[in-house]
Amino acid sequence: MDSGRAVTVRVDDAHVHYRVYEDPAAGIKQLFASGRTGRRYQTIRAVRGVSLDLHESETLGLIGANGSGKSTLLAAMTGLLPLASGTILGRSRPSLLGVSAALRSALSGRRNILIGGLALGFTRAEVESRIDEIIDFAGLRAAIDRPLRTYSSGMRARLNFAIATARIPDILLIDEALSVGDEDFRVRSAERIDEVCSAAGSVVLVSHNMAEIEGSCDRVAWLDDGVLKAVGEPGEVVAAYLASTASR
Amino acid sequence: MSDPDQQLVDLTRPSPPVAYLAEVWRRRDFAILVPVQDLRAQNMGSALGQLWHLLNPALMVAVYFLIFGVIIDTSRGVDNFLGFLIVGVVWFHLTQRVVQDAAVCIPRNLGLIRSVQFPRILLPAATVNGQTAAFVPALVLALAAVIATGERPSLRWLALIGVLAAQFVFNFGAALLVARIGAAVPDVRQLLPHVFRLLFYASGVIFSVDAFVTSEFWRRAFALNPIYDVITCARWCLLGEPVDSWVVAGMLAWGSVLLVAGFAVFWRSDQRLGA
Repeated sequence: MDSGRAVTVRVDDAHVHYRVYEDPAAGIKQLFASGRTGRRYQTIRAVRGVSLDLHESETLGLIGANGSGKSTLLAAMTGLLPLASGTILGRSRPSLLGVSAALRSALSGRRNILIGGLALGFTRAEVESRIDEIIDFAGLRAAIDRPLRTYSSGMRARLNFAIATARIPDILLIDEALSVGDEDFRVRSAERIDEVCSAAGSVVLVSHNMAEIEGSCDRVAWLDDGVLKAVGEPGEVVAAYLASTASR
Repeated sequence: MSDPDQQLVDLTRPSPPVAYLAEVWRRRDFAILVPVQDLRAQNMGSALGQLWHLLNPALMVAVYFLIFGVIIDTSRGVDNFLGFLIVGVVWFHLTQRVVQDAAVCIPRNLGLIRSVQFPRILLPAATVNGQTAAFVPALVLALAAVIATGERPSLRWLALIGVLAAQFVFNFGAALLVARIGAAVPDVRQLLPHVFRLLFYASGVIFSVDAFVTSEFWRRAFALNPIYDVITCARWCLLGEPVDSWVVAGMLAWGSVLLVAGFAVFWRSDQRLGA
């Protein structure tokens, strides 16, 4: 059914490995007993041979248990994590929704909009032309000149969301960003997400909220321990996933 | 739609250097404005606030003068020792801060690197820009102090612009290289303060190398130290201290080699820095 639509991202037999350094109980004994030099590490095979096509104007849901490799796969699609093997081809570089890592808690909300916007690739002029819209959408007009560390976690999340959705990329990856803030903001952010999804070329949505997945996705992929277990109709894949978690 | 896959590009490969540089240029505001905001954030909680950007270099120079100008006399062979000391300390400090900050710019921004895609070279670039901006009050202070010690501005002072440009290039190249090394081996962060303590004495910050080193061979060997070269050139501009062509050549050569090598090394590893 999707064969007629253009492919925007093609993931072909992608493998992503992490190197995790062990944190052993430090002791004089360990220091001398270990014959090996250097720190010990473990290689985690977070994504193991995933192949997946994303199409034009499609919203793909990505589901799976915690630690199944969903976020790792998204990171690899943006080029944030290197592949151990395989390829990822794309029409343009996908972007992950969110900019919280760029924000500085000592600085005001207004300065953080500048910093976050610049991190997302805006120029200074582009941030300045959008700043009022961002402040209003976040609903932070009164608090915008206060340092970020005085914000509640909900206010922070709203600011992050408002900055991150100020530009709609061609290929958008969303990692469980939808339920931020209070009820009023939740409604507005859900509307903005719909807006973003219809404007973006294609969307990958990672969520544990199955109603949301079934409601907004055209197709769903189920990732289990780094392997793609099923891809297809949202209703079928979600039902299979829920059945497997219930039987565990 | 005859061939819908035709336009797909490999996202796991780094973009070619020219496209990479074009993207860096498009995002240059990030590397200029973010470090300035960070400088502001640094002193936000303190009582004297942004005044510290001026007080810090002033106190640093005062302490060095107390120790090496008053308590231990190392002024042999220098006419204006206070000016000599100030230029040495201030210029040395700039490169030291750039390199030490560059070593941690990748690990410190790992969260950002793992969530937002941008040319990573913007991080060491922001480090260099931030420290260069922090250097401006120190530079003004140094110029004022040099005038106060009896020097008079002349045409020679204009050459300082060239020295600063050469130092910026050198600092940038060194920052790229050290940022790459610091991302792979976090331990260099522990090592660098010791390297700089050694370089401090090898750069003639607090004494005149010419007055203490008599052999021609060893004087030339000092020209291999880029920080010594920069300081010596800056002293020539402001104080009329002697400089020879080896020193100028050393400064320019180190700068251009480090910039090209630093860029090549950094660009090649750009996409692996988040791992």
